[in-house]
Amino acid sequence: MSTTQGEPITAATEHQLAGRSLGWWGMIFFITSEALIFANLIAAYLYLEIRNMGGHWAFKLPSGDYLDVVFPLINTFILLASSIPARFAGASIARGNRRNMVLGLLGTIVLGSIFLGGQLYEYTNLFASNFTIHYQAFGSAFYTLTGFHGLHVTVGILFLLICLIRALRGDFTAKNHFAVQAGEMYWHFVDFVWIFVVSTVYLLPLLLRP
Amino acid sequence: MATRTIVEAPVVERRKRLDETYIGEWLMTTDHKKIGVMYMLTGFFFFLAGGVEALLIRTQLAVPNGHVLSPEVYNQVFTMHGTTMIFLFVMPTLTGFGNFVVPLMIGARDMAFPRLNAFGYWMVLFAGIFLSSSFLLGQAPNGGWFNYAPLSELTSNCGNAVMCTPALNEDFWLLGILLLGISSIAGSLNFVVTILKMRAPGMTINRMPLFTWMTLITAFLLLFAIPSLTAASVLELLDRHLGAHFYQFAAGGDPLLWQHLFWSFGHPEVYILILPAFGMISEVLPVFSRKPIFGYTFIAWSGVAIGFLSFTVWAHHMFAVGLPPIAQAFFATSTTLIAIPTAVKIFNWIATIALGKVSLKVPMLFACGFIAMFLIGGLDGAALAVVPFDYQVTDTYFVVSHLHYVLFGGTVFGIFAGFYYWFPKMSGKLMNERLGQIQFWLMLIGINLTFFSMHILGLLGMPRRVYTYPDNLGWNEINLLQTVGAFMLGLAIMVFFWNLITSLRSGLPAGDDPWDAYTLEWDTSSPPVHYNFLTIPTVRSRRPFYDMKNPDIADWKTATH
Repeated sequence: MSTTQGEPITAATEHQLAGRSLGWWGMIFFITSEALIFANLIAAYLYLEIRNMGGHWAFKLPSGDYLDVVFPLINTFILLASSIPARFAGASIARGNRRNMVLGLLGTIVLGSIFLGGQLYEYTNLFASNFTIHYQAFGSAFYTLTGFHGLHVTVGILFLLICLIRALRGDFTAKNHFAVQAGEMYWHFVDFVWIFVVSTVYLLPLLLRP
Repeated sequence: MATRTIVEAPVVERRKRLDETYIGEWLMTTDHKKIGVMYMLTGFFFFLAGGVEALLIRTQLAVPNGHVLSPEVYNQVFTMHGTTMIFLFVMPTLTGFGNFVVPLMIGARDMAFPRLNAFGYWMVLFAGIFLSSSFLLGQAPNGGWFNYAPLSELTSNCGNAVMCTPALNEDFWLLGILLLGISSIAGSLNFVVTILKMRAPGMTINRMPLFTWMTLITAFLLLFAIPSLTAASVLELLDRHLGAHFYQFAAGGDPLLWQHLFWSFGHPEVYILILPAFGMISEVLPVFSRKPIFGYTFIAWSGVAIGFLSFTVWAHHMFAVGLPPIAQAFFATSTTLIAIPTAVKIFNWIATIALGKVSLKVPMLFACGFIAMFLIGGLDGAALAVVPFDYQVTDTYFVVSHLHYVLFGGTVFGIFAGFYYWFPKMSGKLMNERLGQIQFWLMLIGINLTFFSMHILGLLGMPRRVYTYPDNLGWNEINLLQTVGAFMLGLAIMVFFWNLITSLRSGLPAGDDPWDAYTLEWDTSSPPVHYNFLTIPTVRSRRPFYDMKNPDIADWKTATH
């Protein structure tokens, strides 16, 4: 319990912290709060949908069709798959394997970028059919919810890019790699929350179509 | 023979680094105590600003057909009064108390993330400056502190929201609130991790001081409530600047969405504002009654109950908008339910005082004042939960009376109780008792003059937020009375600042433990050294410092917790 003079001692050691680091807990509560922003946006999406609902699902494209589901589901698959290299990177550096960490980070960034590209491609097609953020409450709700998620993917990619640069500089060791751990946590969150977004925006209308 | 010459050792002249100068030390600090003090000073500065705004409102309303302010400026002043008091005075000040006191109370050397802590503080300061700077452009927010969407949005056929309310008023509000939200999230996750992970050995959850308990619950409320406000504000900004239609009925949006999102933040928010004050009262009362707190477990867990329930009551702010009866019944019930854990606390506090050796020092005066004033405010709240009664008085001065009894009579009394209690620890000086008593009685009379008569004014039908009123409605005398009361409150606050300044310069030395207190923050020097404790103490009961001072009759020898 005592500190020797001049010898630095971390809070974790002094409080005899067992288990997860303080940073891990901090990240958990940060992510909780982020998740609740998504929950609120999804609630707003459903609220507006219900306000406009007359018997069946109201949010339709200007052409009168429902949103296409096939392409977003392929894209979903790519995003969810990107969690695997992220886990691989985290597990590798925990064992001190820097080469595999770099490979894992690289794989995650590539898959994440493909997802973002896919989302942009989808947006371009929708724009071409006059479906923009100005198009009724549906346009506003759709672009806000999916765009907010896209923003999180972008932040996640930047997060992992910084980790990648630091990894190439050799900053991380088996004991000291919290940035990679936090980046991985954030990435899993971004993937996980997309399941809820995709279910709300694309899958729910499938159930409630006439 | 060798000669020895004595040479002066060369004096190394170098400029002090910024963090070695007095100013730089404060600017660059990550010490929770300094950050706590800065939070409080910032809070008190905005308290003055918000107070001046309140006095402007009361001057305008002192007599019928008043023209002290223009109607436009009046709207800006009442909006900024609410916004400043809630977001820039009460929240930063309570965070300041939490910052200063909680790590000391739980026997830690600092918060879990000291730099994030500093970030949170600077964010509050700059967001406050940003929000207030709107006055310089003459475009301060003017939509009320809850900024209802139709007031900040498209009204009829103007194409998009910015064309309808083109000035920057609402943008200042929305952006300022987003910045403050970021700060609150940073601060609250720091509190949660600090309190959950960094308690001294032996301090189990059920031995934590009650102020720490309430800070923990508040931090959770912030983590779960702020996201609603963030989402609502982002949608509003998108409506205003990117042409989205969230709150526009004509395009399939709904202005009620703003109200739902805002109040699902707003109601937990009122508990965010009051729970830390509950905690402070629960620290002050036992020390000045020379007894342990009565019903520790009930106080702690009724706080948790309030936290949960606070997320289920938001639509009682919206009874008058025409919700379905089943929803109204639900929200009326849940609102009445919240009275139960609150009443549990009040009875516990009264039982703590009862049969104690009460010493009526200034912190105790404010704590007792808190119980009485908060009780009135709470009873108003229970009355407002009754839907038909709410229809009658919604948006009248009755509501203004209710919210000021709980926020001014409650939270502000709590803040003063806490401030007089912990000031000796922060500064090493005692505040002047006599001036403190004068301030307390001025405030107690002022608050009742100002706000009690608002009940009557509300029942007589005066709506809140009106610019002025004609002189034949029977409202004149009461309004004048309120203005007199408000200036008494202003005088009381002046007495407080006079007391603060003179005590800082020439107050009596406090010593480490002026109140013969029970908790760990008194077990260190006043002001505390940078590292708080030489060795981290070991805790064996709920009153660890009492145990140390009275080893023969220590709590852990008798109590089972």
